[in-house]
Amino acid sequence: MPDPVLSYALPVLLLAAFPFIGGLLRGIDRKITAHMQSRIGPPVLQPFYDVIKLWGKKPFITSQFQPVLAFGYLGFSLMAAAILVFRLDLLLLLFTVATADVCLVAASFNSKSPYSHIGGMRELLSVLSYEPVMIMSIISIYFATRSFLVGGIFSLAYPLLLLLPGVFVAMGFVLIVEMKKSPFDISASMHAHQEIVRGVFTEFSGYTMAMVELGHWVKMMLILSIMAYFWAPNLLIGVGLALLLFFVSLVVDNIYPRLTWQRMLKTTWTFGFTLILANLVALFLLGGV
Amino acid sequence: MYGELIVATNVLLPLIMGLACLGLTGRGIRRAIIAIMAASLIASSLLLFYSGGFVYSPNYLVEMSALILGFCLVAYFLYVGFRIKNVLVIGLTLLQILLVAYFEYSAIGVSVEPALMVDNLSIFMSLIVNIVGSMICVYALSYMDEHEEILQLSRSRQPRFFFFLLLFLGAMNGLIYSNNILWLAFFWEVTTLCCYELIRHDRTKEAEKNAAVALWMNLTGGVALSASLFVSYYAIGSIALNELLMAGAAPILLLSFAFMALAAFTKSAQFPFHGWLLGAMVAPTPVSALLHASTMVNAGVYLILRIAPAIKDTHLTWAVVLVGAFTFMLTAVLAISQRGSKRILAYSTISNLGLIILCAGLNTPLAYSAALILLLFHAISKGLLFMGAGVVENRLHSQNIESWEGLLGRFPLTAIIMIVGMISMFLPPFGMLLGKWAALEVIASSPPSIVFLLIIFMVIGSATTTLFWARWLGRLIILPVKETKLRAEKLHPPYLLSLLSLLSLDLFISVGAAFFISNLVNPTVGGGYSVQIGAPLFSINTTIGSFPVLLFWLAVGVIFIAGFAVAKSKGGVVKPPFLGGENVEGNPSAFRTMADTEAEFQVSVMSFDSIGEGRLNKYALVGGTLLLALLFLMVMF
Repeated sequence: MPDPVLSYALPVLLLAAFPFIGGLLRGIDRKITAHMQSRIGPPVLQPFYDVIKLWGKKPFITSQFQPVLAFGYLGFSLMAAAILVFRLDLLLLLFTVATADVCLVAASFNSKSPYSHIGGMRELLSVLSYEPVMIMSIISIYFATRSFLVGGIFSLAYPLLLLLPGVFVAMGFVLIVEMKKSPFDISASMHAHQEIVRGVFTEFSGYTMAMVELGHWVKMMLILSIMAYFWAPNLLIGVGLALLLFFVSLVVDNIYPRLTWQRMLKTTWTFGFTLILANLVALFLLGGV
Repeated sequence: MYGELIVATNVLLPLIMGLACLGLTGRGIRRAIIAIMAASLIASSLLLFYSGGFVYSPNYLVEMSALILGFCLVAYFLYVGFRIKNVLVIGLTLLQILLVAYFEYSAIGVSVEPALMVDNLSIFMSLIVNIVGSMICVYALSYMDEHEEILQLSRSRQPRFFFFLLLFLGAMNGLIYSNNILWLAFFWEVTTLCCYELIRHDRTKEAEKNAAVALWMNLTGGVALSASLFVSYYAIGSIALNELLMAGAAPILLLSFAFMALAAFTKSAQFPFHGWLLGAMVAPTPVSALLHASTMVNAGVYLILRIAPAIKDTHLTWAVVLVGAFTFMLTAVLAISQRGSKRILAYSTISNLGLIILCAGLNTPLAYSAALILLLFHAISKGLLFMGAGVVENRLHSQNIESWEGLLGRFPLTAIIMIVGMISMFLPPFGMLLGKWAALEVIASSPPSIVFLLIIFMVIGSATTTLFWARWLGRLIILPVKETKLRAEKLHPPYLLSLLSLLSLDLFISVGAAFFISNLVNPTVGGGYSVQIGAPLFSINTTIGSFPVLLFWLAVGVIFIAGFAVAKSKGGVVKPPFLGGENVEGNPSAFRTMADTEAEFQVSVMSFDSIGEGRLNKYALVGGTLLLALLFLMVMF
């Protein structure tokens, strides 16, 4: 008999908390980054102030479809998060994330803006560079748990990380791409230090920008949560691991310059594929499956 | 009586109606003929679905006349070979004649009981062929009028066009009903004939050239099929498909199956035979729609699905898997380097067929279901996409997707149809993604010896597929367009009827996927497999995953309704794009230059020319040929 609190109330709460924790992390991100660059940086709650301010601004749009698509980006990101917290199919989660990405790209293609178009195309290239790694990670999780359901991770007696350390590191690449951090921030940087016209985000303003920002937080949280699930038996350790990777991605962001798209594709695919395949081969050889 | 009725409506009637099209050349009467034909094909395939399969053996006279017709057909191919002076066509036809004649001489009086056998797989195929095929014929009524108007022909060549179109459907039906391999080969060659004649319909130099390529490649398949017939007869003394499938997997029989797989690869345009399907696009669009969605390429997939249970647990099946996987990945990569609308569609077709063949080759119950799901949804979506692309092409007089810019503002109805069609190819919760979901599960559970290779092929193919669809989709929605005043878009009734029916069919089956999988796909799986996809309460479950289809659709609905609500309540002033402040008033696609003059600018798609056909085609050809060699090598193990 499944406990209704555990199977419904908790996931709903978690889902509701996703944007808030995501926003907080963005604030921490900006603070830490500022300190790394010997600046003081904005208050930790600045991302929230920004979004509230954006939401109330005078609305300008590129066409009637742009706000719908921007909302789609947020909506499908939330839906992917829901799939995760309700412990449904991981492949479904991946498809939903892809749908969110396509909404963002479509919104950026919606106007005849050269900047936005280049950004949109480069966002698609980002998807091209992380999606294969993510599918392979999901298949690896299947090898370890013999299930595509998120629930499978929790029915495992030991942490996933012990079986799939390579996959965990490969997911780190996905995280950096999804957080739009250097060296993989080809479509648009989350920080102003890289560019003046903001790639895929160029044509968003006011409430459409607010929705995209929220969607971005949710997606970042989504990947971080998957990483936390690598230590499912004790989620506190899992959260610690995820935060560690979050910090690593900030360090990497501040060390590396942006790559060209070709090199980004080569890097994510080479490292991602090699790490995951080596991990899986080891898993098969050691009879872990 | 029932069997005779179905055979008469689905195989003979298209031929008779086709001849009627040839004789009665009036435009009105042709419309009537096509309408009657479409209605009866759809009705009879539904009847077949509800009443179940049958066996049927025509009498001796029919059998003899089919044989004579068969020889007339190869004689015609021989004539074509000499007319276009193509050594390959002549050689292959002679080889074919030699094989069949020798067979007829040495196996006098061999007869097959039953000659036609319709089981669930045939019924499944028959629904796709007849429903999608009929809609394409209806569509062709409008398209060919426009097409001939553009070409400014003095004398309409439509009678001939519709004759071959209908004959194609009839032959396709015959092909999927045949149990006698000789009959199968006969109908196979009739589809080759129709394909050849339809590709060269416009009689341009390019059309003739590409038709010749299609002819020799498909004749290769025909020869392979005859060879398979030959081997089968000498191995088990029978040319009945059902007996051959039951006979076990002796090496000599595997050779027969290998020949059949080769034949299937030619028809389904797998590497290295992909050239003909790309060349086939010179034909009027209904031909492409028919080839890609309802007939030609599905014949190959059908044959693979037919022999799959028999080659289970043999090495041969892995060769089939590799051909499919390799084709799936490389054509998806090739598609991102293309800018021609029909070319992208063609590569996407070949890619999806590769995925279907990959699944069929993996040969597990779940894999078989995945193949069927992909086949079903691909047929509908691709038919819709080709039909829409044809309408656009006749309006823009260009196939380049650059010219599709802002289609949503220029031809809203066609654009929306195309957008839904594209989304249905690569985003959930449409049926294709359901198939891909099942395929990913299947690939993940394949044996360790092959799983890594397949995963890499699969992830690269999937990711590039997303890229080329999203990139194209982005062209259509660029707003606002320069012609600010929207023209009321008018589509002819046949266009409307065919496009909207396929669109609603696509939506209907995708929303009700759980129902259709349990009532249409699962009964077809049968044949030596246990069904592994359960569909309780509008969700689709396997032992390792779950896809709550209806819930997903609900969520998508909620997201879009909420999105529109937010857009409506917040509204906003439509502003021109950011151009560094140098916008030109009233012209969204111009900017003010340094010299203060106005300059038009364009935004183009990223083209990836560096990974284009020039570079990858040789890999496709070499890789494909090596895999074919592997196919026959596997027979020996």
